[in-house]
Amino acid sequence: MKYSYIKPRAKSVFTQEIQLILSFFTMTLVMLFLTYAFLLYKNYAFASDKKETLQERMALEISLEEMKEKIVFIEKQKMLSERVYTQNSVLKDSIANLFDLVPTRITLSKAQLLENGLILYGITPNKDVYNFMLQAPLRSIFHRTYSSFYPAQNGWLRFVSTNYLDKTEEESIDEN
Amino acid sequence: MKISISRQHIYLMSISIFLFLFVLIFSFSMLIPAGKEYRIKRVELKKVNKEFRKYANFHDDTVATLQELRSENRHIITAFDKEFSAYRFEKQHKNYFSKLSISKLEFIEYEDEKAFSVYEVKTSSQISSPSSFYNFLDALNKSDWIISIDFPIDFVRDGELIKSSFTMKVYANTKETNSSVSTSEAK
Repeated sequence: MKYSYIKPRAKSVFTQEIQLILSFFTMTLVMLFLTYAFLLYKNYAFASDKKETLQERMALEISLEEMKEKIVFIEKQKMLSERVYTQNSVLKDSIANLFDLVPTRITLSKAQLLENGLILYGITPNKDVYNFMLQAPLRSIFHRTYSSFYPAQNGWLRFVSTNYLDKTEEESIDEN
Repeated sequence: MKISISRQHIYLMSISIFLFLFVLIFSFSMLIPAGKEYRIKRVELKKVNKEFRKYANFHDDTVATLQELRSENRHIITAFDKEFSAYRFEKQHKNYFSKLSISKLEFIEYEDEKAFSVYEVKTSSQISSPSSFYNFLDALNKSDWIISIDFPIDFVRDGELIKSSFTMKVYANTKETNSSVSTSEAK
């Protein structure tokens, strides 16, 4: 005996309301998971970028240190070479001045340039010529001047002039 | 009063509450900390990048300074690097002398600067006039080596010529500094 004219519908747990709720939450969850995945990826990317940048910076620091050392070394080379060049130029001027200092009437047979002095050996017609024309300028340059004479065969005088520079206070301070 | 709630509605409610709680817990326990971490890391990276750019600029400036210094002092750098050759020196400077002889190189301790080594060379020569010696001193400053003339310097008259004897100091890089410069030049 039939009580209804329609066939009974198959009942399902997934009713329309549940489907709606599920689709809503699925969308929400998908969005949440995607955001979370994006954040995780970005965090990883930031961390690896930071690590890479720090490594590059480290390499730059090492390279900078090396370059600074090279710069300091080249500066040292430059300073030393300039000192040497100046020393040579000063020496040239000193020798030129020395030879200019000797008057034509006096003939030098030997000149010895020391670090703080000058020893001249030569021949002079007489003591006056030596005293006025050579000793006077030498005295103005050097602190201590000693001369000794002995007769030469032709009646002239052979002389040995020893001249020394004393260390000035400034030089002593510089050395210290 | 009896409240009748259908089983359907109970399912609906429980699924909704469960999912809602899941979303809440997930958000607060995972998503928000990850977001905070993202913000901190982004700021940190910006800071690191800013510092790196500063460093890179400073590095570039230093490279430019070093290159400028190298090109300005090329002669000096190569002179310090070059090994002294008595034969080559004689060949280069014999024009200034009537006769020139150079003794063997002798290493001496250079107290002022450990990065450099100094060699002593005893030289005896004959010159026709002092001007030859002046020219030699001028040429010395342009030679292939860094050389200074050391005291004492002796000039002795020998007929029409002047015999001169002096010591030359040749400055060079030590082996360690020499090799470091060579490798950097190669780079």
